[in-house]
Amino acid sequence: MATAIRTEGLTKRYGDVVALDHLDLEVARGEVVGYLGPNGAGKTTTIRLLLGLSRPTEGRGEVFGLDCQLQPVEVHRRLAFVPGEANLWPSLTGGETLALLGRVHGHVDEAYRDELIDRFDLDPTKKVRAYSMGNRQKVILVAALMVRPDLLVLDEPTNGLDPLMEQAFRHCIGEARGRGQTVFLSSHVLSEVEALCDRVGILREGRLVEIGTLAEMRHLSALSVEATFDSAVPDLSGVPGVSSVETNGRVVRCQVRGSIQPLLRALADADVTELVSREPSLEELFLALYGEDGHAR
Amino acid sequence: MHAEPTVAPPVAAPVRAERFPGTVVARLSARRAARSGAVWGLIFGLSIASSEVSYTRIYTTQAERDALAAAYGSNKATSALFGPAPQLQTVGGFTVFKISMTLMILGAVWGLLTSTRLLRGEEDSGRWDLLLTGLTTRRGATAQALAGLGAGAGLLWLLTAVVSVLSGRGSKVGIAAGPSLYLALAVVTTAVMFLAVGALTSQLAETRRQAASYAAVFLGVSYALRMIADAGVGLHALIWASPLGWVEELQPITAPQPLALLPIIALTAVLAAVAVHLAGLRDVGAGIVADRSHSHRHLALLSGPTGLAIRLLRATVIAWWVAIAAAALLYGLIARSAGATISGSSVREVFAKLGAPGTGADAVLGVCFLVLAVLVAFVGAGQITAARAEESGGRLDHMLVRPVSRASWLSGRLLVAVIVLLLSSVGAGVFAWLGAASQHSSVGFTTLLGAGVNLVPPAIAILGIGVLAFGIRPRTTSVVVYGLLGWSLLVVIIGGIGATNHWVLDTSVFHHMASAPAAPPEWEANGIMTGIGVASALVGGLAFWRRDLQGE
Repeated sequence: MATAIRTEGLTKRYGDVVALDHLDLEVARGEVVGYLGPNGAGKTTTIRLLLGLSRPTEGRGEVFGLDCQLQPVEVHRRLAFVPGEANLWPSLTGGETLALLGRVHGHVDEAYRDELIDRFDLDPTKKVRAYSMGNRQKVILVAALMVRPDLLVLDEPTNGLDPLMEQAFRHCIGEARGRGQTVFLSSHVLSEVEALCDRVGILREGRLVEIGTLAEMRHLSALSVEATFDSAVPDLSGVPGVSSVETNGRVVRCQVRGSIQPLLRALADADVTELVSREPSLEELFLALYGEDGHAR
Repeated sequence: MHAEPTVAPPVAAPVRAERFPGTVVARLSARRAARSGAVWGLIFGLSIASSEVSYTRIYTTQAERDALAAAYGSNKATSALFGPAPQLQTVGGFTVFKISMTLMILGAVWGLLTSTRLLRGEEDSGRWDLLLTGLTTRRGATAQALAGLGAGAGLLWLLTAVVSVLSGRGSKVGIAAGPSLYLALAVVTTAVMFLAVGALTSQLAETRRQAASYAAVFLGVSYALRMIADAGVGLHALIWASPLGWVEELQPITAPQPLALLPIIALTAVLAAVAVHLAGLRDVGAGIVADRSHSHRHLALLSGPTGLAIRLLRATVIAWWVAIAAAALLYGLIARSAGATISGSSVREVFAKLGAPGTGADAVLGVCFLVLAVLVAFVGAGQITAARAEESGGRLDHMLVRPVSRASWLSGRLLVAVIVLLLSSVGAGVFAWLGAASQHSSVGFTTLLGAGVNLVPPAIAILGIGVLAFGIRPRTTSVVVYGLLGWSLLVVIIGGIGATNHWVLDTSVFHHMASAPAAPPEWEANGIMTGIGVASALVGGLAFWRRDLQGE
């Protein structure tokens, strides 16, 4: 079976509030998928349903062909989860916590665990109570990675990590991908998702509004074009597909949707000294999607 | 864009003027302390009222009242447990004897839990940091929180006072407003002292649980000193070494001695002042008594969720065991001499009304084992609230996202709980026997062992009903178990005096327990209680399996 995660009409309602609305999602094995959305969009709800921590109102989810609700133990043998908030047992040390979680899971790559402790610069003799928030987060990251699961489910995993540690995290995810592990990464650190993920799903108010590769999604947004002119600046506002024209001295910035041909033709007659076009970043894509009626939440 | 155009407010415009920014912390803690203070005030008031009313109903003739006074007036066992009983011929004297020690201890527990929760607990959770970024200092905020706690205690006193004054006005009761107010004051003074004790231990310890344990140890020592002072072994002067002794020396209604308020006020003021002072000396989040931040690996119990539960609970459980064993040993020690004071048929009748028929040591132990039953039930309640705390704290997630099923997690914890309850109960029996045997009392080992095992069913019922609440409405778990426990205790205290509707009596988990060793254990009733516990736990477990995990 080639799918790691599959949901069919997965729905969760809390009273009148729809937290997740008929989610159909499929993640292939070995894929690294980003899961985006603002706070309250339903990211954590999706993950808790997949993990069997919450019960769906409708629909179902499966992981490696196993039902998330009916076979949670079998599902959990093959995955590891990192929550965004590291609530651990304050009286245990980091090392004891790792030992406990490793034994509960069943098998641990001990050499890799020690390497991770090193890489994340973690002091395992310290009690959880004495750890900073970032250090607690490292403990659960190590706990998840050290079992080398087939599927890593990460819910805003880099909460509280400093840039160096975030780099180490990205490195580990890169390794996981290299070994063929599947990664499901919910995040609102867009640069992280952009750097790591093959595909991105975007969730809004409990509904999956987009899913695809970054390349596929780029057509959704405009291309940014910046042109510098030697002489008179032409009026580009009437050109088909062009919008948001801003003129600043001899520099013109605009957005282009659809074909770029009309703009190129319009520029051909002018004295262009410099032309820069840039694909939209994930952040721009995200804001474009939410800009439409993202405010009317 | 469909967004409404928004007009930015002028920068200088005040958002909402806070008129007294320097009292925010005080008002916040006052509000939270007042809520529970009001509830407990009502309970205190109603306990006093019910005791007064039932006395007038049951002991209608002078002969009956004299018999009561003969039974308890010079009984050193009950004096050690509940304090002396100088005027049992009067409704006021009876009420003071019947209710005041229980209310004093409940008040102390309320005080230490409330202040450690609102001081160290807030600091633990990080909310204290937010408050401290406002217009206050560490000392200022602590002083304000103490003022707020004081307001909560004020409400506790007010409601206790109002209800007891109203009850005292009843024609048969006939206690004037002044003595009623003084009685309310006396039972609430322990709450005030232990608010201050909790405030101090909140500065010393680094976690709420530790702060509460330190304060509980102080309470235990106070109670033990007072107990020895009242046990008639010639050490009555020790009464002045115990804060609970001072409260007893207030002697409400029987022989008021307001001078005893002086040490109470002094202790409260000193503890509060030291707490405020210490708050300024230490870092926020740290305790004066530093917790070890590093430790060697101890992996023996960390093999799975059940081992983890044992590791996390062991300190608390051992503390309970020590308390139960010490109490049982003490009861055993005093049983024979106390039993010797019970003679004559009228006295026996009075004891029988309290559920302990017979004479001698076993009758005394029958009453004492009720106290042990309450302690064991507390252990049961603590087990299920600890399980709920794992869930609400988000720590259960780490287990259940690994190959651990909900059923195995919960059943493992319940198994631990049942074993803990069995050992607590057997321990109670064994230590009571050790005490009794050392005094050459005639109560046999197997009788006391049976009396120990007899303590298990009410605790199982509490535990099982706790699991039911945990499964169906997890956020109510602790309210349900401690509410049921408190209610059951009140019903038994009131019911012990006599006339109460049997429907009300039936709701108490302790009512169905035979008062072994005074009477043989009723295994059928015990089976029913255990059955209720098991059935509730099964339904609760099923509901837990079907529901979402829920945070706080």
